[in-house]
Amino acid sequence: MADANQNIKIHVSHLKKDFGKLEVLKDISLDIYEGEVVVIIGPSGSGKSTFLRCMNQLEEVTEGEIIVDGINVTDKKVDINKVRERVGMVFQHFNLFNNMNVLRNLMLAPVDLKKADKAQAEKNAMEMLRKVGMEDKAYAYPAQLSGGQKQRVAIARALCMNPDIMLFDEPTSALDPEMVGEVLQVMKQLAADGMTMVIVTHEIGFAREVSDRVIFMDGGYIVEQGTPQELINNPKEPRTIDFLNKVL
Amino acid sequence: MVRIIQGYGQLLLRAMGQTLLLALCGLFFACILGMIFGILSVLKNKACNIIAQIFVDVIRGVPMIVLAYFIYFGLPYGLNTLGGFNVTLTALQAGTACLALNCGAYMAEIIRAGIQSVDIGQMEAARSLGLPYWRAMQRVILPQAIRTMIPSIINQFIITLKDTSILSVIGFPELVNTAKNVVANTFMSFQTWIIVGIMYLIVITTLSRLAKMLERRLNRGRR
Repeated sequence: MADANQNIKIHVSHLKKDFGKLEVLKDISLDIYEGEVVVIIGPSGSGKSTFLRCMNQLEEVTEGEIIVDGINVTDKKVDINKVRERVGMVFQHFNLFNNMNVLRNLMLAPVDLKKADKAQAEKNAMEMLRKVGMEDKAYAYPAQLSGGQKQRVAIARALCMNPDIMLFDEPTSALDPEMVGEVLQVMKQLAADGMTMVIVTHEIGFAREVSDRVIFMDGGYIVEQGTPQELINNPKEPRTIDFLNKVL
Repeated sequence: MVRIIQGYGQLLLRAMGQTLLLALCGLFFACILGMIFGILSVLKNKACNIIAQIFVDVIRGVPMIVLAYFIYFGLPYGLNTLGGFNVTLTALQAGTACLALNCGAYMAEIIRAGIQSVDIGQMEAARSLGLPYWRAMQRVILPQAIRTMIPSIINQFIITLKDTSILSVIGFPELVNTAKNVVANTFMSFQTWIIVGIMYLIVITTLSRLAKMLERRLNRGRR
């Protein structure tokens, strides 16, 4: 668990989010510290993915504040693109750009946003591909890769922007069981390297092994949070106990 | 038949040239209109969507022959009597406007559908990396959308080429209009219309074969 005197990377206060009449997030407050690995679990429809997507403003919030690295991303005047450059995101369905090969997927944003010249971006991209064990697929197109390979490329793509924070939205939920391990392995390595990570997942085993803090969400609220030992092994709230009984 | 070809072949070929000229002018502006209204209809802006929707609905809801009469005869007359402006349009100008509006509305729908057929996750992934909306559109969404649009666009081009025949009603000297004159002179309507039909068939089949080749080349190597 992170110390209180560590830097706060993401500060969320009284966040609310509606989709029309449907209230998805009702009142969420949370601080996430530098280097912390936070796993969010909960039943489907509990708002965990929406919460994650609010952090980089893929969803606009209805009420409340989210401050990422000192920048209030809920403020309409803030250039959200600048914040997104430093907050990587990995999606359930990978979302690799289908019209480009793996290498160009990785180089697009760094080159387009002038973070690096072509040669530099390519060198960096190859390094990231090596990190996720995909360097031999640099010239393959997404359609030629397996799910696990796609997801590792997606992680490498996010890493090419050299982010401070990585958000993972159910990164293994769309994978065949035998491919889950290779993706979790890459994420484990990232956590060991000290990346600040927020992960929405159903992999309780992974949460137990890798996370600093587990958050249980239900019905648009944070019901309970704690270290994996506290929350997974000794949950206190009846709803948490009920959920864990079903998934473990 | 031989008499027609000998006597009027040159004239009919020139008329085919006029048909192609009109189609090209119309298609050029139709692409511009289609692009503008197609993009307006996918923007996250209610006003833009409504403008695009009205354009498409109005043009689709009016037969092209009515549009042609209105632009060529109605509009100059209305401007003159109501506003005192003295505007006359040549048949080529009116015909181009008519084809551009008509084909433009259908192109707008093709482009809208093409963009919307690209998975929303592609845009989200691009935005999550910090790319602005238009860059993401340009680098990720449109290249994928265009690939799915191409067959429909080619189809629309062919329809537009055939629709030029409707503009014979405003006196543009395209193929059908010219053929009518040939029939009036020779009374050989059977032979004349067969020749005209074959001329359209040759041009359109050639163009669609070319288009197929282009499509195959664009799709080569990728899915």
